[in-house]
Amino acid sequence: MSAAIQTEAGDTFPFPKDYSFPAFFTRQPNLQTHHAQLEKWSALVLAYAHHHRLFRFSPTHPVFHNKKLDRRFAEADVRELLEHMRKDGRAEWVGNEVFVYWRRPEDWARKLEKWVEDTAQKGHVLTLYEITEGEATLGTDFHGMDGEVLLKALNHLVKRGRAQIFGQDDSLGVKFF
Amino acid sequence: MSRKGVGIGAFDRSRLTSRQFASHGSSLRASNTEALTTQLTVFRSLLQQFAQTHAKDIRSDPAFRAQFARMCTAIGVDPLASSSSSSSSGAGGGLWAQLLGGSVNDFYFELAVRVVEVCSRTRGENGGLIGLKELTERVSQGRMEGSTEISPDDVKRAVETLKPLGGSYAVISVGHKEYVRSVPRELSNDQASVVEAAQVLGYVSVSMLRDNLGWEKARCQTVIDDLMSEGMLWVDKQTRGEWEYWSPTSMVDTEGVMEPALDGG
Repeated sequence: MSAAIQTEAGDTFPFPKDYSFPAFFTRQPNLQTHHAQLEKWSALVLAYAHHHRLFRFSPTHPVFHNKKLDRRFAEADVRELLEHMRKDGRAEWVGNEVFVYWRRPEDWARKLEKWVEDTAQKGHVLTLYEITEGEATLGTDFHGMDGEVLLKALNHLVKRGRAQIFGQDDSLGVKFF
Repeated sequence: MSRKGVGIGAFDRSRLTSRQFASHGSSLRASNTEALTTQLTVFRSLLQQFAQTHAKDIRSDPAFRAQFARMCTAIGVDPLASSSSSSSSGAGGGLWAQLLGGSVNDFYFELAVRVVEVCSRTRGENGGLIGLKELTERVSQGRMEGSTEISPDDVKRAVETLKPLGGSYAVISVGHKEYVRSVPRELSNDQASVVEAAQVLGYVSVSMLRDNLGWEKARCQTVIDDLMSEGMLWVDKQTRGEWEYWSPTSMVDTEGVMEPALDGG
């Protein structure tokens, strides 16, 4: 589940100064410069996704097109960027999009663990739907989370023996230990 | 003596004064050398008293601190002279220690370490040439509230302490800006001219250089390619005309070069 794509006018994200730099949108030929460019774009994508709570990103997302500047980070270059982020553990391909991990699944797992502890939910059973949409998580970071990212996080807990997942595709449930 | 004298009368008056000084100059020097030495010693101790009285201002106001440092240097007090905090000799070396709360070495050493960190971290994007102002801002980021404000002058002095590292670190002046270079290779004259040209609009193009510096196209392209391979220029290929080559310092320098599109546009 991805949030509505924001148009640039009225975008609340505080863009960094890099975004106003025309050359930022050209794939730099110099190796070191290109690496620095990828790092800056990574940081921007992560911050943008975090700000808007986007869990998925498309290589054709409007953010790569700065209308005011009339500059566009080409799709091929965006794919290169997403590959770079994937190697960094910050992105994962899912079809023609990527999951953008402004918080890695293992970090989500730790937060979940703490929440379970704080709310005395050990031994309780919750559906994944309840976690992402239920009243119990209102006001927490988990509310509105992408279901698949939640599942990845829970799988980390399963691996450590802290949770068990059961059920069918549409109604998966989790029990915390 | 009025400085606004006009006409022959004034000319004569000033010539007369000069002659007077000239004739008395040598005798003045001879008899006053001792007096001058005494005066300097007196001045030095007055400066120390001044420093102790205004320690708070010197600690908190970078501009004031810079002025004070210049005065010290002018009269032979080395602001960077090392001092052990246990020493209470009260000599010139202990002066900065008292002012800056700890050994002067600590202050500039820590600053130098941060300078090296920032330069290493940004070398990828600027090729080892960073604006002094930008460096100062970056070095100041992430410091605790209430800690001494860092000025470009402080950063310059910190860079000076890095000289023993074999010539990699230096403060250089190009056009109307100062930069800190953190790579051994110095800019050639042509390269410096291009860096200076880029200060106006933030970027250069081959024809801009040709028109403003009178160079042949080949020379323009060569220097641009040089700076590109050094990582000191970024290329913009989406201009629909000539490619434009941007100085990375204009990525952060908002002094009338580019308006940041912070409203999300």
